[in-house]
Amino acid sequence: MLIDHPLLGPRDEAEFVILGDAGLIDRPDWQAEDAAQLFHDYLHLRDNPAGEHRELWFHEQGDRSWLVVTRNTLTHEIVRVELARDVAIARGRDR
Amino acid sequence: MAEFALTARTPLDGYDRTFGGVTLAEAAGLSLVSAAVPQGGDDAFAAALAEGFGASRPSTGEWVPGDRLGARILGMQPDQLFILFEAPDPDRAAEAVSAALGPAAYVTDQSDSWAMLRIAGRGVRAALERLCMLDLDDAAFPEGRVARTVMEHLAVIILRDGADGFLLMSPRSSARSFLHAVEQSVATVSG
Repeated sequence: MLIDHPLLGPRDEAEFVILGDAGLIDRPDWQAEDAAQLFHDYLHLRDNPAGEHRELWFHEQGDRSWLVVTRNTLTHEIVRVELARDVAIARGRDR
Repeated sequence: MAEFALTARTPLDGYDRTFGGVTLAEAAGLSLVSAAVPQGGDDAFAAALAEGFGASRPSTGEWVPGDRLGARILGMQPDQLFILFEAPDPDRAAEAVSAALGPAAYVTDQSDSWAMLRIAGRGVRAALERLCMLDLDDAAFPEGRVARTVMEHLAVIILRDGADGFLLMSPRSSARSFLHAVEQSVATVSG
Protein backbone atom coordinates (compact mmCIF):
# COMPACT_ATOMS: atom_id res chain seq x y z
CA MET A 1 0.00 0.00 0.00
CA LEU A 2 1.35 3.41 -0.93
CA ILE A 3 0.41 6.64 0.81
CA ASP A 4 0.75 9.70 -1.39
CA HIS A 5 2.30 12.11 1.09
CA PRO A 6 1.34 15.73 0.32
CA LEU A 7 4.95 16.94 0.73
CA LEU A 8 7.03 13.93 -0.26
CA GLY A 9 5.06 11.97 -2.82
CA PRO A 10 4.24 8.25 -2.66
CA ARG A 11 5.77 6.43 0.32
CA ASP A 12 5.46 2.83 1.40
CA GLU A 13 2.95 2.13 4.13
CA ALA A 14 5.74 0.46 6.18
CA GLU A 15 7.13 3.93 6.96
CA PHE A 16 3.90 4.92 8.72
CA VAL A 17 1.97 3.99 11.85
CA ILE A 18 -1.77 4.40 12.19
CA LEU A 19 -3.42 6.02 15.20
CA GLY A 20 -7.10 5.70 14.29
CA ASP A 21 -10.16 7.81 13.62
CA ALA A 22 -9.37 11.37 12.53
CA GLY A 23 -12.11 12.55 14.90
CA LEU A 24 -9.37 12.54 17.57
CA ILE A 25 -8.36 15.97 16.20
CA ASP A 26 -11.57 17.42 17.69
CA ARG A 27 -10.56 17.22 21.32
CA PRO A 28 -13.39 18.55 23.54
CA ASP A 29 -13.12 21.65 25.70
CA TRP A 30 -12.01 20.40 29.12
CA GLN A 31 -13.64 23.41 30.79
CA ALA A 32 -17.12 22.76 29.34
CA GLU A 33 -20.00 22.08 31.75
CA ASP A 34 -20.48 18.58 30.34
CA ALA A 35 -16.76 17.86 29.83
CA ALA A 36 -16.99 14.39 31.39
CA GLN A 37 -19.69 13.34 28.93
CA LEU A 38 -17.87 14.96 26.00
CA PHE A 39 -14.62 13.16 26.85
CA HIS A 40 -16.50 9.88 27.27
CA ASP A 41 -17.89 10.24 23.76
CA TYR A 42 -14.51 11.43 22.40
CA LEU A 43 -12.69 8.44 23.83
CA HIS A 44 -15.16 5.63 23.35
CA LEU A 45 -17.68 6.35 20.59
CA ARG A 46 -16.57 5.74 17.02
CA ASP A 47 -18.29 5.21 13.73
CA ASN A 48 -17.21 2.02 12.04
CA PRO A 49 -17.99 2.68 8.40
CA ALA A 50 -17.82 0.12 5.62
CA GLY A 51 -16.45 2.50 3.03
CA GLU A 52 -14.59 5.79 3.30
CA HIS A 53 -12.92 6.39 6.64
CA ARG A 54 -10.79 9.34 7.73
CA GLU A 55 -7.79 8.21 9.77
CA LEU A 56 -4.74 9.71 11.44
CA TRP A 57 -1.41 8.31 10.26
CA PHE A 58 2.06 9.26 11.52
CA HIS A 59 5.05 9.27 9.17
CA GLU A 60 7.38 7.93 11.82
CA GLN A 61 10.12 6.67 9.49
CA GLY A 62 9.94 9.78 7.37
CA ASP A 63 9.27 13.43 7.98
CA ARG A 64 7.38 12.82 11.26
CA SER A 65 4.27 14.58 10.06
CA TRP A 66 0.73 13.60 11.02
CA LEU A 67 -1.58 12.96 8.09
CA VAL A 68 -5.30 12.61 7.65
CA VAL A 69 -5.72 9.71 5.23
CA THR A 70 -9.13 9.01 3.70
CA ARG A 71 -9.17 5.28 3.04
CA ASN A 72 -11.90 2.97 1.80
CA THR A 73 -12.13 0.18 4.36
CA LEU A 74 -13.64 -2.20 1.81
CA THR A 75 -11.06 -1.78 -0.95
CA HIS A 76 -8.10 -0.14 0.88
CA GLU A 77 -8.14 2.49 -1.83
CA ILE A 78 -6.66 5.75 -0.54
CA VAL A 79 -8.82 8.58 -1.78
CA ARG A 80 -7.17 11.60 -0.19
CA VAL A 81 -4.13 12.49 1.96
CA GLU A 82 -3.88 15.79 3.84
CA LEU A 83 -1.49 17.19 6.45
CA ALA A 84 -3.25 16.93 9.81
CA ARG A 85 -1.91 20.38 10.64
CA ASP A 86 -3.82 21.85 7.67
CA VAL A 87 -6.99 19.98 8.69
CA ALA A 88 -6.70 21.22 12.29
CA ILE A 89 -6.09 24.82 11.23
CA ALA A 90 -9.07 24.65 8.83
CA ARG A 91 -11.16 23.56 11.83
CA GLY A 92 -10.18 26.62 13.80
CA ARG A 93 -7.23 25.33 15.80
CA ASP A 94 -4.11 27.48 16.10
CA ARG A 95 -1.75 24.67 15.03
CA MET B 1 47.55 12.57 35.82
CA ALA B 2 46.24 9.42 34.13
CA GLU B 3 48.82 7.04 32.78
CA PHE B 4 46.83 6.21 29.68
CA ALA B 5 45.17 8.20 26.93
CA LEU B 6 41.85 7.43 25.26
CA THR B 7 41.68 7.47 21.50
CA ALA B 8 38.44 8.53 19.82
CA ARG B 9 37.01 5.99 17.36
CA THR B 10 34.53 6.77 14.62
CA PRO B 11 31.28 4.69 14.45
CA LEU B 12 32.54 2.57 11.51
CA ASP B 13 36.27 2.62 12.36
CA GLY B 14 37.17 4.38 9.13
CA TYR B 15 35.67 1.67 6.91
CA ASP B 16 36.66 2.06 3.25
CA ARG B 17 36.21 -0.64 0.63
CA THR B 18 35.65 -0.89 -3.09
CA PHE B 19 33.46 -3.56 -4.70
CA GLY B 20 33.72 -3.57 -8.50
CA GLY B 21 32.48 -0.14 -9.50
CA VAL B 22 31.11 0.87 -6.11
CA THR B 23 33.05 2.49 -3.29
CA LEU B 24 31.72 2.29 0.23
CA ALA B 25 33.45 4.51 2.77
CA GLU B 26 32.72 6.01 6.13
CA ALA B 27 32.16 9.76 5.95
CA ALA B 28 34.06 10.96 8.99
CA GLY B 29 34.81 14.43 10.25
CA LEU B 30 31.32 15.80 9.66
CA SER B 31 29.22 17.44 12.32
CA LEU B 32 25.43 17.23 12.31
CA VAL B 33 23.26 19.72 14.17
CA SER B 34 19.47 19.82 14.11
CA ALA B 35 17.73 23.16 13.96
CA ALA B 36 14.08 23.36 14.98
CA VAL B 37 12.13 26.41 13.90
CA PRO B 38 10.13 28.02 16.75
CA GLN B 39 6.40 28.28 16.16
CA GLY B 40 5.67 31.39 14.12
CA GLY B 41 9.40 31.96 13.58
CA ASP B 42 9.58 31.11 9.88
CA ASP B 43 10.48 34.61 8.68
CA ALA B 44 13.15 35.07 11.35
CA PHE B 45 14.59 31.66 10.50
CA ALA B 46 14.72 32.42 6.77
CA ALA B 47 16.54 35.68 7.47
CA ALA B 48 18.99 33.97 9.85
CA LEU B 49 19.72 31.20 7.36
CA ALA B 50 20.39 33.74 4.60
CA GLU B 51 22.65 35.74 6.92
CA GLY B 52 24.45 32.83 8.59
CA PHE B 53 24.81 30.37 5.70
CA GLY B 54 23.90 32.36 2.60
CA ALA B 55 21.14 29.88 1.82
CA SER B 56 17.41 29.95 1.35
CA ARG B 57 15.39 27.46 3.37
CA PRO B 58 15.05 24.08 1.64
CA SER B 59 11.62 22.53 1.59
CA THR B 60 11.11 19.16 3.28
CA GLY B 61 12.92 16.54 1.20
CA GLU B 62 15.52 18.90 -0.27
CA TRP B 63 18.99 20.02 0.73
CA VAL B 64 20.90 23.13 -0.28
CA PRO B 65 24.56 24.06 0.11
CA GLY B 66 25.57 26.85 2.48
CA ASP B 67 28.34 29.34 1.77
CA ARG B 68 30.67 28.35 4.59
CA LEU B 69 32.09 25.45 6.61
CA GLY B 70 31.14 23.16 3.71
CA ALA B 71 27.61 23.27 5.10
CA ARG B 72 24.65 21.42 3.69
CA ILE B 73 21.21 22.36 4.98
CA LEU B 74 18.77 19.45 4.94
CA GLY B 75 14.99 19.89 5.03
CA MET B 76 14.03 16.95 7.26
CA GLN B 77 10.47 17.76 8.31
CA PRO B 78 8.19 20.79 8.20
CA ASP B 79 9.70 22.50 11.26
CA GLN B 80 13.10 20.85 11.47
CA LEU B 81 16.28 21.07 9.45
CA PHE B 82 19.64 19.37 9.83
CA ILE B 83 22.89 21.18 9.19
CA LEU B 84 25.73 18.93 8.09
CA PHE B 85 29.06 20.71 8.10
CA GLU B 86 32.73 20.71 8.97
CA ALA B 87 32.84 22.24 12.42
CA PRO B 88 36.06 24.12 13.27
CA ASP B 89 35.83 22.46 16.70
CA PRO B 90 33.69 19.27 16.59
CA ASP B 91 33.13 19.44 20.36
CA ARG B 92 31.39 22.76 19.87
CA ALA B 93 29.31 22.06 16.77
CA ALA B 94 26.00 23.27 18.23
CA GLU B 95 27.63 26.51 19.34
CA ALA B 96 28.92 27.06 15.79
CA VAL B 97 25.37 26.76 14.39
CA SER B 98 23.97 28.90 17.19
CA ALA B 99 26.52 31.57 16.36
CA ALA B 100 25.43 31.49 12.71
CA LEU B 101 21.65 31.40 13.27
CA GLY B 102 21.25 33.30 16.54
CA PRO B 103 17.99 32.78 18.43
CA ALA B 104 16.03 31.91 15.25
CA ALA B 105 16.38 28.15 15.82
CA TYR B 106 16.63 25.64 18.65
CA VAL B 107 19.79 23.65 17.95
CA THR B 108 20.91 20.22 19.13
CA ASP B 109 24.21 18.51 18.36
CA GLN B 110 23.53 15.11 16.80
CA SER B 111 27.02 14.42 15.43
CA ASP B 112 27.95 11.44 17.58
CA SER B 113 24.55 9.77 17.21
CA TRP B 114 24.94 8.90 13.56
CA ALA B 115 27.06 6.56 11.47
CA MET B 116 27.66 8.07 8.05
CA LEU B 117 28.49 6.09 4.96
CA ARG B 118 29.17 7.43 1.49
CA ILE B 119 28.36 5.12 -1.38
CA ALA B 120 29.42 6.06 -4.87
CA GLY B 121 30.17 4.60 -8.25
CA ARG B 122 28.54 3.44 -11.44
CA GLY B 123 26.55 0.58 -9.91
CA VAL B 124 25.33 2.53 -6.91
CA ARG B 125 21.63 2.52 -7.77
CA ALA B 126 21.61 -1.24 -8.37
CA ALA B 127 23.24 -1.70 -4.97
CA LEU B 128 20.74 0.52 -3.21
CA GLU B 129 17.55 -0.65 -4.91
CA ARG B 130 17.74 -3.88 -2.90
CA LEU B 131 17.69 -1.93 0.35
CA CYS B 132 15.81 1.27 -0.23
CA MET B 133 12.07 1.49 -0.84
CA LEU B 134 12.35 4.96 -2.37
CA ASP B 135 12.48 5.55 -6.09
CA LEU B 136 16.09 6.71 -6.63
CA ASP B 137 15.68 7.38 -10.32
CA ASP B 138 17.23 10.63 -11.60
CA ALA B 139 13.76 12.06 -12.18
CA ALA B 140 12.33 11.14 -8.78
CA PHE B 141 15.37 11.63 -6.54
CA PRO B 142 17.89 13.91 -8.27
CA GLU B 143 20.94 15.53 -6.69
CA GLY B 144 19.70 17.93 -4.02
CA ARG B 145 17.14 15.55 -2.54
CA VAL B 146 17.21 14.05 0.95
CA ALA B 147 14.81 11.66 2.69
CA ARG B 148 14.38 9.86 5.94
CA THR B 149 13.31 6.25 5.34
CA VAL B 150 13.88 2.65 6.43
CA MET B 151 16.43 0.12 5.16
CA GLU B 152 16.52 -3.40 6.59
CA HIS B 153 14.32 -2.17 9.47
CA LEU B 154 16.84 0.52 10.36
CA ALA B 155 16.13 4.23 10.17
CA VAL B 156 18.27 5.80 7.46
CA ILE B 157 18.62 9.28 6.06
CA ILE B 158 19.59 9.18 2.40
CA LEU B 159 20.99 12.22 0.65
CA ARG B 160 21.94 12.40 -3.01
CA ASP B 161 25.13 14.41 -3.48
CA GLY B 162 26.09 13.45 -7.00
CA ALA B 163 24.99 11.70 -10.18
CA ASP B 164 26.40 8.43 -8.80
CA GLY B 165 26.80 9.29 -5.14
CA PHE B 166 24.72 9.10 -1.99
CA LEU B 167 25.36 9.79 1.67
CA LEU B 168 23.64 7.43 4.11
CA MET B 169 23.19 8.16 7.81
CA SER B 170 21.88 5.70 10.36
CA PRO B 171 21.83 5.61 14.16
CA ARG B 172 25.23 4.87 15.64
CA SER B 173 23.84 2.26 18.05
CA SER B 174 23.15 -0.08 15.12
CA ALA B 175 26.08 1.07 12.96
CA ARG B 176 27.54 -2.41 12.42
CA SER B 177 24.22 -3.91 11.36
CA PHE B 178 23.66 -1.01 9.03
CA LEU B 179 27.12 -1.41 7.47
CA HIS B 180 26.54 -5.15 7.12
CA ALA B 181 23.25 -4.61 5.29
CA VAL B 182 24.73 -2.14 2.84
CA GLU B 183 27.90 -4.18 2.36
CA GLN B 184 25.91 -7.33 1.57
CA SER B 185 23.78 -5.50 -0.93
CA VAL B 186 26.77 -3.97 -2.70
CA ALA B 187 28.64 -7.29 -2.71
CA THR B 188 25.63 -9.06 -4.24
CA VAL B 189 25.46 -6.81 -7.27
CA SER B 190 29.19 -6.43 -7.84
CA GLY B 191 29.98 -10.13 -7.83
